Amino acid sequence: MQLISAQNISYSINEKKLFHNLSFNVNTGEGLYIKGSNGSGKSTLLRIILGITLPSKGKIHFCNEDLAISYLGHKNAIKSYLSPIQNLELIFNQSGRALAFEWLHKLGLKNVQDELTGNLSFGQQKKLALIRVLASSPKMIVLDEPFVGLDYATNNLLNNFLEEKLREDMSIIFTSHIQPTFECKTLEIER
Amino acid sequence: MLRLIRTESFKLSRKLKSWLGPQLILVLVLIAFPLSIDISQYDLDKFYFSIIVISLMMTAFISTEGMFEEDFEDGSLEQEFLLEQDFYKIVLSKMLIYVFFIGIPIALIGSLFLITNGADFDDLPKVFSILCLSNILLFNLFSFGNALSINKGAMLGVLTSLPLALPVIILLGRAVRTIQYGEGFFSIIILMSGISLIVLAIMPIVISAALKTHID
Amino acid sequence: MYPYLLFIGITTLMIGWIWGVLYAPEDFQQGNSYRIIFLHVPASIFAQTIYYFMSICALMHIVWRVKLAAYLIKSAAPIGAMITFIALFSGSIWGIPTWGTWWQWDARITSTLILFIMYLGILTLHGSFSNLEKADRLMSILVIVGVVNLPIIKKSVDWWSTLHQPASISTSGSSIDPSMLMPLLISIVGLGFTLISLGILSSRLYILNREKNKKWVLEHV
Repeated sequence: MQLISAQNISYSINEKKLFHNLSFNVNTGEGLYIKGSNGSGKSTLLRIILGITLPSKGKIHFCNEDLAISYLGHKNAIKSYLSPIQNLELIFNQSGRALAFEWLHKLGLKNVQDELTGNLSFGQQKKLALIRVLASSPKMIVLDEPFVGLDYATNNLLNNFLEEKLREDMSIIFTSHIQPTFECKTLEIER
Repeated sequence: MLRLIRTESFKLSRKLKSWLGPQLILVLVLIAFPLSIDISQYDLDKFYFSIIVISLMMTAFISTEGMFEEDFEDGSLEQEFLLEQDFYKIVLSKMLIYVFFIGIPIALIGSLFLITNGADFDDLPKVFSILCLSNILLFNLFSFGNALSINKGAMLGVLTSLPLALPVIILLGRAVRTIQYGEGFFSIIILMSGISLIVLAIMPIVISAALKTHID
Repeated sequence: MYPYLLFIGITTLMIGWIWGVLYAPEDFQQGNSYRIIFLHVPASIFAQTIYYFMSICALMHIVWRVKLAAYLIKSAAPIGAMITFIALFSGSIWGIPTWGTWWQWDARITSTLILFIMYLGILTLHGSFSNLEKADRLMSILVIVGVVNLPIIKKSVDWWSTLHQPASISTSGSSIDPSMLMPLLISIVGLGFTLISLGILSSRLYILNREKNKKWVLEHV
């Protein structure tokens, strides 16, 4: 089933073209890997897909209006003055918390769960932010550079997780500079 | 909405500087003013109220300063947008929380200082209710300025929203005179409540439009 | 087109001023000092008119996302700030012989001063963002909120205190002698044309600057 279709999307910033006439569509259970050099507009494209940013030209069509999406961007939406546990309590409601805390274990954040998040390392914060995606069960996952800052083991874990989710008919759209280990469609943005 | 109110009050309660800071600053400013003049020569109670008005305005600004900046910088606003597709609810709940946790306490501090500086003790509820209402107005207007300037610092926010706050100051001055002369208080408090309700309904729409522009 | 407009504007303005300063009769109360109205009144009128023009543009920008409207706001704001400053300054000069003071906390002076600050605030806001499209939209929001606020400020400062003489010209008739009214109207028209041509010039420069990456600009220049 088709979830998203984009036709001739262009985006320009301060009247300067970023990308031009991109068309693609995403189906259920399909991965879309967005590739491109720095400054080619990968993150912006993700934000256009999410509906946060409006494209300068072109249209993006959601086949299901209330599509549950979880998104992890450059900004990780983690509060530095709260502990990891408190952060997760803000994100998840009662029913989702058990699974989120389980992921806290799996990612090895158990021993720092009551410290202030601001004192954790970049990688640890990134892991905590990833739990937002890992412990929720949306129809679609959108990730901006998910592999940056992660150690080798977590990298593998994330790859496997995404692969498994694809098999469970979830759609995944992500940008990365590292080739993922699972199979998916590739969209290359050129300037 | 209930979820947002719970979240926002939890977040604010964890930031001591954000809710206790403005109250302490108000107290300090109210202490500082009498120190700058010769009390034996001037009749302080005659113009102490205008000092309270001005320092209240300043404090209202300081209190709203980080209202949206933090959520904007760490990406919480984007996440909220994905959930709700709109910022009206989050702005309204933030506003209510801020007025409740900061606005009402500073209104109380202001009225206590006024009572200890010569106003009639029986007027305490009147003064308090007027200061509360003006705080609703000021918080709304200043958070608009802060939503415009978001992460560009407080100065830009003051510059853009202070002209909007000047009528509130005039209204507040009027309200005080009615208390001092004991006449027309009810008509002015009804006027202020009406304006507060209108502003509280409309300003969050404008603020969410500004926030939407920022995350765009 | 703007050079002709500028020429018409300045010529008309000069006619108005020369007539007003050299040939119009003396005021029986204020003597010769009243002659500054030929600058003060037109400037005060356009100080607000420009803001209303900007707010119409802002509405167009917000509702229909007309890019040109935002460019017009951005290029009209400095002109508005300038003319508001002139209104304030000339008013101050007029204040010395008539009221004996160059500044009074009077309703209209205060609201004009606030208007001046609002113009500068709009420019500052626009200048603070690197993404100019965002800056355009935020500026439009501020202009619209400002135009709602303008009558409120006016009403509230009126309520607070007033000293200023009532407006010389109003729709219900004017309190001014026809021999003075004529040059005044001419200078209003002249200043109007001058400002329009300045507006065209400044928006031209601004549009070229903003669209400098577009093909048509390169061809044009």
